[in-house]
Amino acid sequence: MKKVIKLTVNGMEKELLVDVHSTLLDVLREDLGLKGTKKGCNQGECGACTVLIDGNPVPSCSLLAVKADGKDVLTIEGVAEAGKLHAIQEVFNEKGAIQCGFCTPGMILVTKKLLDDNPNPDEQEIKEAIAGNICRCTGYAQIIEAIMALAGRKQVR
Amino acid sequence: MAAYNIVGKGVPRVDGPDKASGKAIYTVDVSLPGMLYGKILRSPYAHARIISIDTSMAEKLPGVKGIVTGRDLRDVRYAFVDTPHYPADEQPLAVDKVRYIGDEVAAVAAESEAVAEKALALIKVEYEIIPAVFSAIEAMRDDAPLVHDEQLEGTSAWEEWGVTKRKNITASSYAANNVSGRTFVQYGDVDAGFEEADHIREDTFELKATAHCPMEPHAVVASYDAVQDKLHVWLSTMGIFLKRFFLSKTLNIPASKIRVHHTYVGGAFGGKIDLFPYEFCAAYLTIKTGQPVKIELDREEVFMTTRQRHPMNITVRTGIKKDGIITAQDIKVIADNGAYRGSGPVVIFLCHGFSFPVYNVPNYRYEGFSVYTNNPIRGPQRGHGAPQIRFSIDSHIDLIARDLGMDPLEIMLKNARKQGDVIPNGDVLNSCGLTECIKGAAAAIDWKNKRRQFQASPASTGRFRRGVGISICSMFSGAMYYPFASAAIIKMHDDGSATLFTGAQDIGQGSYTTLSQVLAEELGIGMEDVHVVAGDTELCPIDLGSFLSGTALVTGSAVKLAAADAKRQIMESAAELLGVDNIGELDAFNKKVFQRQSPDNYVTYQQAIQASVLRKGGNPIIGTGSYKGYEKTDRYPSLSKGKGLFTGAYGFAAQTAEVEVDTWTGKVKLLRACTFHDCGYPLNETIVRGQIHGCSSMGQGQALSEEIYLEEGQLFNASFLEYRLPISTDTPELVDGIVISQEPSGPFGAKEVGEGSVAGMLAAVANAVHDAVGVRIKSMPITPEKVLRALNNPT
Repeated sequence: MKKVIKLTVNGMEKELLVDVHSTLLDVLREDLGLKGTKKGCNQGECGACTVLIDGNPVPSCSLLAVKADGKDVLTIEGVAEAGKLHAIQEVFNEKGAIQCGFCTPGMILVTKKLLDDNPNPDEQEIKEAIAGNICRCTGYAQIIEAIMALAGRKQVR
Repeated sequence: MAAYNIVGKGVPRVDGPDKASGKAIYTVDVSLPGMLYGKILRSPYAHARIISIDTSMAEKLPGVKGIVTGRDLRDVRYAFVDTPHYPADEQPLAVDKVRYIGDEVAAVAAESEAVAEKALALIKVEYEIIPAVFSAIEAMRDDAPLVHDEQLEGTSAWEEWGVTKRKNITASSYAANNVSGRTFVQYGDVDAGFEEADHIREDTFELKATAHCPMEPHAVVASYDAVQDKLHVWLSTMGIFLKRFFLSKTLNIPASKIRVHHTYVGGAFGGKIDLFPYEFCAAYLTIKTGQPVKIELDREEVFMTTRQRHPMNITVRTGIKKDGIITAQDIKVIADNGAYRGSGPVVIFLCHGFSFPVYNVPNYRYEGFSVYTNNPIRGPQRGHGAPQIRFSIDSHIDLIARDLGMDPLEIMLKNARKQGDVIPNGDVLNSCGLTECIKGAAAAIDWKNKRRQFQASPASTGRFRRGVGISICSMFSGAMYYPFASAAIIKMHDDGSATLFTGAQDIGQGSYTTLSQVLAEELGIGMEDVHVVAGDTELCPIDLGSFLSGTALVTGSAVKLAAADAKRQIMESAAELLGVDNIGELDAFNKKVFQRQSPDNYVTYQQAIQASVLRKGGNPIIGTGSYKGYEKTDRYPSLSKGKGLFTGAYGFAAQTAEVEVDTWTGKVKLLRACTFHDCGYPLNETIVRGQIHGCSSMGQGQALSEEIYLEEGQLFNASFLEYRLPISTDTPELVDGIVISQEPSGPFGAKEVGEGSVAGMLAAVANAVHDAVGVRIKSMPITPEKVLRALNNPT
């Protein structure tokens, strides 16, 4: 069975005919071609598929697309503006917070949420904010360093 | 030390912007028009004969485009190890028997994943369940069921490369008692060494299987172009040429008719080297159907069927003098390689190979067995044998230190190998900063003040008790494997910038960045002037692949030579323009060639390249370079005897850990982990630190929580909730020290950094737990249950 839903994705309004059993992740990746949102486990455990829905991080593999009807979705493709990387993206790369890159989109989006709410988090708050996002490459240290470097900056948006 | 402009700096990754912005395309992101989706039917039994397979119902299902079973592929065999001694024992799909839960039985390609899934349910397989065996020690008994009872021909995939020339080896005896491989190495006089000792101790250790957990699940897209007769594949791999080689052998089509295309790799850690049945099946089904086929494994399949670290039982016996000098060591290793040989004979060789460069043991005997069981297949995993053997030896050394009332640091320092040592196989330690690593890691953890030296029982009595421990390790910097060398091509552009063509895969370790730095430094251009084309077998020259930690040294050397070649050509062209006879009078950097005596007399690279095109028959300047760890094929390592040369250079590390043990719950918390790694020279400090952290974190997981939980071959924790790898809140305080030893054969002195320091974390933590609460845990991982049991029953 299919259903029409409306989504605002990265600021653009979309009207989509989706299978009622499709996850938001599959609709973003397959119907909209937004492959930056990654499927790491497809069971809500790794955080690679994290997107911001109305500003809040959600594992998009665990949400049916029809349940996102009418919502505002931000994916990694919407974080950079006019081809210019966001400060979080820049600093992640400068500090070595990116290795294989597969967890990076989700990690950047939860970081955005953290800094939107709390522009000056301490180390413990950072660790807790990213606890739902698994990174096998970095051992987290350089990710935490990157977010620490962003803490207190005015221009993080 | 020479001052460099680009190497040694923590320049940002060249692939960082793609990855940060979501533009990086991984194999799972590849989608082609008309693409079919493949699924694999897997055995639900650990050991069973296949009586019949009926695919007729599945074939009739609308949307099903192709099905393949083992009957279509009877003669196809391949394996990670494929020598006359160890003939290939894997088949893409089971023919007569299934040997573990998850073994591949059939593959379907259909118009959607849902249809493919439905089709799997319609395939009828009749099995006859037969007795199975689930532990290596039981499998070696005379009455154990045989996992492989077939007689295999002793052929070799490497023979055409002139590697193996031994003849008349019959393989059949090697499957007896389920033994899939044996390594035996001996030097000195072991009995005399033990005679000479003042103290002899023996301990046995146990390690469980662990999972790689790359965040990107394994996937493949294969597309056969019938008009061009060319097979295009996208796959998540560590070595594109090795995959192409295996595909060419198994599909029986020439290597040049297969093109592996570049994709980013979302983590590998050793788990993306082998050829996997799903890759073969996608290729087979695209040829059969004429449509592209994608197979994406789900997370459970990744846990179950894409290799695990070898569980092992290891016994170490050491003779030592009162002053702490080791006189003899006798090591026995039994590794469970699961249902197929996988890397069994390699890991038992590497347990020796990664360990004997650490301590100078004059009289030494090592015997390793790899054994078939009906468990999932085991393969390379970061450190490949090093974590198991280093955990065992350094836990044992810590216990010996307690016996002797000595500081384990003293034993380590007294026996550690040093720069210039020639180790028994003939490898020369041209760079060895092991002693500096030990001293650095000890100082960083405040060893002198924190170690409760020599005390059998803990001094403190509170609920939370702290302790420190140390372990040391070493790792190859590449070794010989198909295609036996790495090459690089550098194409100069007419604006003076360069494109590097490399077959090396960036699996997250940062090779595109470090190789670009090597190129830029050698050629005298900026990082912004380097472009990278990689991961494509059609465009790129051969490369060993990104495993055995060879990329920095082997591929890096090839890139440096290629850059020097391009630079020489630019200077020759510039010399003509400058009216200089001898290029020895010239210097080149910052995209300009100068006359050394009068630096105002210069031409830009752009001018020199244009002049070369105009004056030298159109030569646009292409630099080439190639490198091999060592030259002679007759010195390639022997897996069974440990002879031959192993690697061009060894990386070394020492790791210390401080833990806090909750004596009420048994939970161990890693507070601080210090790693001092001798990587020769850090080409990129940020990347080197990232490798150390990643290793340390993986070692932490293996020490404290990671364990594949199997019950009669059934995997019970194939998810991230139940297979507990470190998350951000587990991150200890990390201290990393980079020890510079300037490896002469490495580019700018660089060697291994990506694997070694997984290994030391295990014994460092186990020794720290002993230091904290006075109990010894001899099996990995150190779970709260084991700690509590030990606290309640102190030995």
